[in-house]
Amino acid sequence: MINDESGQVKIQQMAFMLIAVTLFLVVAGMFILVIRFSSLRGTAELLEERNALLLASKLADSPEFSCGNAFGTARSNCIDTDKVMALTFRLQNYSGFWGVDGIEIRRIYPAGTGTECSLENYPACDRITILDSEKGTGVSNFVSLCRKEQGTFIYDKCELGRIIITYGD
Amino acid sequence: MLNKKEGNKITGVYSGFHIKRLNLNKRGFIQISFAWLFAIIIGAIILFLAIYASVKLIKTEESVSGAETGKEIAVLLNPLETGFGEEKTTLLTLPVESRIINRCESFGVFGEQEVAVSQKIRGEFAATGIGSLAHNKYIFSNKSVQGKNFYLFSKPFEFPFKVADLIFLTSSEESYCFIDAPEEIREELTSLSQGNLFTENCPSDSIKVCFDSEGEDCNIVVDTNDKTVEKDGSMVYFEGDSLMYGAVFAEKEIYECQVQRLMKRLNNLALIYNDKETILFGRGCPLEVNLLDLAGSAFSLNNSADLIIVKAAADDAEDENENAYCELW
Repeated sequence: MINDESGQVKIQQMAFMLIAVTLFLVVAGMFILVIRFSSLRGTAELLEERNALLLASKLADSPEFSCGNAFGTARSNCIDTDKVMALTFRLQNYSGFWGVDGIEIRRIYPAGTGTECSLENYPACDRITILDSEKGTGVSNFVSLCRKEQGTFIYDKCELGRIIITYGD
Repeated sequence: MLNKKEGNKITGVYSGFHIKRLNLNKRGFIQISFAWLFAIIIGAIILFLAIYASVKLIKTEESVSGAETGKEIAVLLNPLETGFGEEKTTLLTLPVESRIINRCESFGVFGEQEVAVSQKIRGEFAATGIGSLAHNKYIFSNKSVQGKNFYLFSKPFEFPFKVADLIFLTSSEESYCFIDAPEEIREELTSLSQGNLFTENCPSDSIKVCFDSEGEDCNIVVDTNDKTVEKDGSMVYFEGDSLMYGAVFAEKEIYECQVQRLMKRLNNLALIYNDKETILFGRGCPLEVNLLDLAGSAFSLNNSADLIIVKAAADDAEDENENAYCELW
């Protein structure tokens, strides 16, 4: 009986020891994973930020936004707002196309009241939202906003604006 | 030999463990107490799990590293967005020798471009990292490009308006020799100064790209009249210099997939320009450019052989736009 009890105590001790070792290994493993994944999250955020920064400087030259030769000579960082308004009709096709959370174009000179553009009030408006993002970090770039304007004849009109890219929503 | 009746208990030191009592059964086998058996089994399980987890963790790390590099490459492709009528070349140097895996899918509205990286670690290529997806990038290359230094050459594709910037990915370990290339191609390649593209004094081991001639040494044959590129026993069709480069640098499967994706984007852009025309009509611009034919032909493209149909519609639209009162692009 005594030997049996002694053996049982030993088994219990060993079981506790093994559980402790296992728990230690699991905790140590989880600690390593947490550190690793936090650094991974940091890397992902950094890459997202770099993507947004680079995109802000180059998005105006992409075919859906660029002026092309529609306003005389080809120019860089020029957004054709007539084309962007046409793009807003087909945004359902462009979901996730640029890999960012928000894209907004704002007229900054001449300054306006911040009115959102729609087909009814365009071009007497100041803001075109292509992808709506309520939160996140924004990066922006200055651009020319050009359109055809009707007077006694059709002429080109360009104003100063900003393109704002939002990421990390 | 041990006597059965004489106690079969011995005391000794085995393998560094002090064993007070080593029980032998009637047949002479060692009797191990339950405590030891339990410890050995559980210990083995713990060791196995620890080793398994470590191996898995190392593999995951390799995969993560590949995924990070893949994403970095995808991000670095943004500055390759060009202005108009310009080409750019960039040297991409990776920390270790790697394989860049180019995957293209043409399903969906715009299709998908995936870039994944497999890095060489301890002499072997690790598992391919999770790919980085993009809908607005078009990379022309072989399915797998290996090296440490890579050239990224980008050129706009206009058909008739700018559709996208095409990116041609090559390894610095592979050089291309353009033989009898038309003057404009020679000038373009010379001005690019890309280290692995030659028009003269070609290295002997370079891939020979012959224009309108079928020499025995030619690896790739470009027919500028029929607008075809023959490579590895298969033929693809092109329109314009950008797609010609694409056909030279890419495998047939990748090329055909990217052409389909480009036509999907062309279709969407043509519809946007059509809507723009309607907006401008409200401001006094006449409706002069027919873009629906272009959109329809691009949408119906099955493979590069159909490019000629889209080209005809694109030429018509280009002529109409050039003569329009309000140019659309």
